[in-house]
Amino acid sequence: MKAVFERYARLLHEVAVETTPGLMESRLMQAYDQGRNLLDQGVSPDEVIHMHHAAILQLAQLRPDFTLAQVAGSLTLPLMEVSMSYGMAFREQMEQRYEAKLKLRVSQSSKLEATGTLAAGIAHDFNNILGSIVGYAEMAADDLDKNSEARKCIEQVLIASFRARQLVASLLTFARQTPVTSEAADVVELIREILALLKASLDPAVQVCFTSAMEHAIVIGDPVQIQQVVMNLCLNAADAMKGKGIIRINLDAAQWHQDHRDEIGCGLCLSVADTGCGMRPEVLARIFDPFFTTKAPGKGSGLGLSVVHGAVTQLGGKVEVDSCTSGPKTGTEFRVYLPWPDAETAKQ
Amino acid sequence: MAHILVIDDDEQFRGMLVQMLSKDRHRVDFAVDGEQGLRFLQQNKPDLIITDILMPYKDGIDLIRTLVLSGNPIPVIAISGGRRFITAEFNLESAELIGVKAALAKPFGWAELRSAVAKALA
Repeated sequence: MKAVFERYARLLHEVAVETTPGLMESRLMQAYDQGRNLLDQGVSPDEVIHMHHAAILQLAQLRPDFTLAQVAGSLTLPLMEVSMSYGMAFREQMEQRYEAKLKLRVSQSSKLEATGTLAAGIAHDFNNILGSIVGYAEMAADDLDKNSEARKCIEQVLIASFRARQLVASLLTFARQTPVTSEAADVVELIREILALLKASLDPAVQVCFTSAMEHAIVIGDPVQIQQVVMNLCLNAADAMKGKGIIRINLDAAQWHQDHRDEIGCGLCLSVADTGCGMRPEVLARIFDPFFTTKAPGKGSGLGLSVVHGAVTQLGGKVEVDSCTSGPKTGTEFRVYLPWPDAETAKQ
Repeated sequence: MAHILVIDDDEQFRGMLVQMLSKDRHRVDFAVDGEQGLRFLQQNKPDLIITDILMPYKDGIDLIRTLVLSGNPIPVIAISGGRRFITAEFNLESAELIGVKAALAKPFGWAELRSAVAKALA
């Protein structure tokens, strides 16, 4: 390899010192071929381009009579080759990055699983800590006058502790690896039930519109988990609309490509679409990450969509999302695919 | 006013529980794990045992099983914070299946503790 380099450097030097116009051109062509050989042999474009730069400087020094255009022009061909090779390398790099991104998507589920394990481990110790906080705070409150400032402060400590208890409960739900119950559940009925509860807590300016292509839609799973999926998606939709807009929930039969497996899923598609502000691609890429939230501190745990992803994966389904931040279609649509029970399970 | 044995490996939580029960005028003793609890029970006969479920060495479920097998008549309250894929509910349910009088998921309030103690002593 060293010999090739030296020959290349010598050729470039000869181009520089050659005064006969015809000969100089022929040497240039040789240098050009040689440069290409170097690239073919796997020498990095960086090194080749570095040699060209050195040669250009040398040429400029040795031939002050050359115009800048002549200096640059005499070496343009090999340089173009190098820049093309750069382009190829860049494209390859982009392709590799894209592949890495795909792999990242595939590993999303296992990442969530690992976080779940960690979360559950923390949850236990956290409950112990909270237990001490709640207990001591209650004892302190008991000793204080009902109208005292200190008593009011302690009451806030207790309220905060119970909020933390809710968060830990979500963590444990998220970490749950197997459904607590696995039974035939009618998704239509479950949605109606949870919507009745949700409507009471949503802003009156938020309309919820539920349509279903079927009267009953039976899947096998934990009813609580299914309702949690619907609830979390609706709460997210309501947040995105800032208290005003329409949430459209639709249920229909569907087929889908199951990720990581060359299989077609067959079951139902539950879509939750909002007329909210939509999500930018960088937000969209992270929505299923545990603890990722765009809400103000204290407004969201960042677990809602992780719980959705975990629950749907556990039910053997898939989540898809489309979002648009401008134009008439501004808003977000989540599609949750859940499989029909297979013949074996349906019999049981 | 009862004599109560508290078994929990979490020092701070155990301290809180002992203080809370003492404020309710109970006589309270404590142990840091199931082994120590059993040794205490060989010499003493409290009216009530309050035990954590997830503890090192001898856990709460194991302790309760030993007590049930040896024909122990002392009522037991199980408490737990849950760990790994086992939720607090799961543990406490298993405890109830083997004859526990009441089960509490951490964190719980004073009122919950009082009603569990009353229920277990009734």
